Amino acid sequence: MNKALKKKTSHVLEFLGFTMPAAIAILLFVGIPFLMCIYYSFRKWNGIQKGSSFIGIKNYIRAFTNDSTFLDSIAYTLLYAVLAVIFINVLALFLSVILEQSKVFAKGLFRAAFYIPNIISLIIIGFVWKFIFSRAFEAIYSSTGAALFGWSWLGEPKLAVASTVLVTVWQALGFYMLIYVAGLQSVPDDVLEAATIDGAGKVRRFFSVILPLIVPSLTVCTFYSIASSLKMFELIFTLTGGGPGSATTSVALDIYNTAFNSNQYGYGSAKSVILFILVAVITILQVTVFKEREVEA
Amino acid sequence: MTKRKSSSILIFIFLLVVLAVYLSPLVLMVFGSFKSYSEIMSNVLSVPQSFSMKNFEGVFTSMNYPKSFLNTLIVTVIGVVGIVIISSMAGYKLSRVKTRYSYILFLFCIMPMMIPFQSFMITLVKIARQMGLIGNLYGLGIIYWGLGAPLSIFLYHGFVKSIPRELEECAMLDGCSPLRMFVSIIFPMLKPVTASVIVVNAMWIWNDFLLPLLIIGSSESSKTLQLAAYGFMGQYKMEWQNIMAGAILIIIPALIIYFIFQKNIVKGMVAGAVKG
Repeated sequence: MNKALKKKTSHVLEFLGFTMPAAIAILLFVGIPFLMCIYYSFRKWNGIQKGSSFIGIKNYIRAFTNDSTFLDSIAYTLLYAVLAVIFINVLALFLSVILEQSKVFAKGLFRAAFYIPNIISLIIIGFVWKFIFSRAFEAIYSSTGAALFGWSWLGEPKLAVASTVLVTVWQALGFYMLIYVAGLQSVPDDVLEAATIDGAGKVRRFFSVILPLIVPSLTVCTFYSIASSLKMFELIFTLTGGGPGSATTSVALDIYNTAFNSNQYGYGSAKSVILFILVAVITILQVTVFKEREVEA
Repeated sequence: MTKRKSSSILIFIFLLVVLAVYLSPLVLMVFGSFKSYSEIMSNVLSVPQSFSMKNFEGVFTSMNYPKSFLNTLIVTVIGVVGIVIISSMAGYKLSRVKTRYSYILFLFCIMPMMIPFQSFMITLVKIARQMGLIGNLYGLGIIYWGLGAPLSIFLYHGFVKSIPRELEECAMLDGCSPLRMFVSIIFPMLKPVTASVIVVNAMWIWNDFLLPLLIIGSSESSKTLQLAAYGFMGQYKMEWQNIMAGAILIIIPALIIYFIFQKNIVKGMVAGAVKG
């Protein structure tokens, strides 16, 4: 064997040795399952018997024409995502700006305190809020008489949707504040001073100077909040269980029910592929739109 | 000057009020965990009459807390250690080797960040069953390698770019083997990223529910904390004082991790925000 070839082989072997463990793990636990899901989405498969049979795009046709639970779950997921994304980002940005722009004492402590709900698992959050909505609201209602607390927050379909959004925003706020604060800290002081000298007020300064400069943070936060709200599962699992009826059944929860509760694995796979396409299309669109608006200071 | 001072006091008070409302559900949770059944049913909002540990003791045994804690710790350690090893190696090599194949492999490795977990969980369970990974903690930990690697590779890949190559060339000339060079020279330099990778993945695995539910399911002896919490809280239906005590027992370890690694979390989470 000549020397050059030997050296090349050893380089290739070294490259493979470093990269293959990760590549194989990803292939085994994400790549192959995902491809198999696409494969099974065209088949009838109940998960218990070994065999499955090819049925073309029947699963997809059924999902869109003959499954009101699934269509409702898409409608709910989109509504939930829109509301959650708007409230999360507006509130997180608002609180971050107040924290950063003012000379408030103990900024770090505030940031840490707002972050606490984010440390708690969504399963626990669901149980805690169930308690708040039922027992605590009832107690507040009977002592103050405020109608707001007398409503059936988990029992009325529309209110249950609002509840899931409310709890999501509450849980996520601190995390998004962290990203916005990091973005705000990167806005150069001299630009702000120049704007102030030019006579820009606080509001004007925010919309004309700060906002355009923190578009990268906005891109990340919107992307992340869209992606995570489109696949929400755990919070709904314990807070509402998808109910009342199927008012708060998200696409992810519906996939879980279809596959693991009614043993329609093939059909569930088709829904999984639809969820993937939904998330991919929306996030790619969002990132393209936001990327165009990024400017440099 | 005085105007400015008074406005900042107003903002401080405003933030304090917002924070009080914001954290009130958690305060009620803490209060509730100390109350007796009759007290929590009659006085939800008040400070508990006595701070007795009775609920905690009961929950501690009925949730089999030490066992579940240990199980979660095993899964988290297997998961995080594996992710750090395979991702640092792959991220490093993929960043250093600039060929077309290397770039394609890099794209393959980070692509899964775009795929929602629910889009492949059904068939993941099938594969895990065929590989004999169902129902045991080691299997669960190993599956996290594949799920956690994409983001971690992405983080390492980005960081390696900022490390000068001279050191590696020197080591190479001294006859250092590639693996030894990685372990003794490169890996120590990756420490800031490794800290973030550890925190992001540890918090995620510790709090994860759906994958353990699918892989461990109802196997009593391998339950993680989140699974134990779910089983326990479903079973106790309306006994809120026990549910709140259980919630606190589960939150405490995560809270401790958070306060130890607080600085890295900020960096890591901001980096982790890229995860889709």
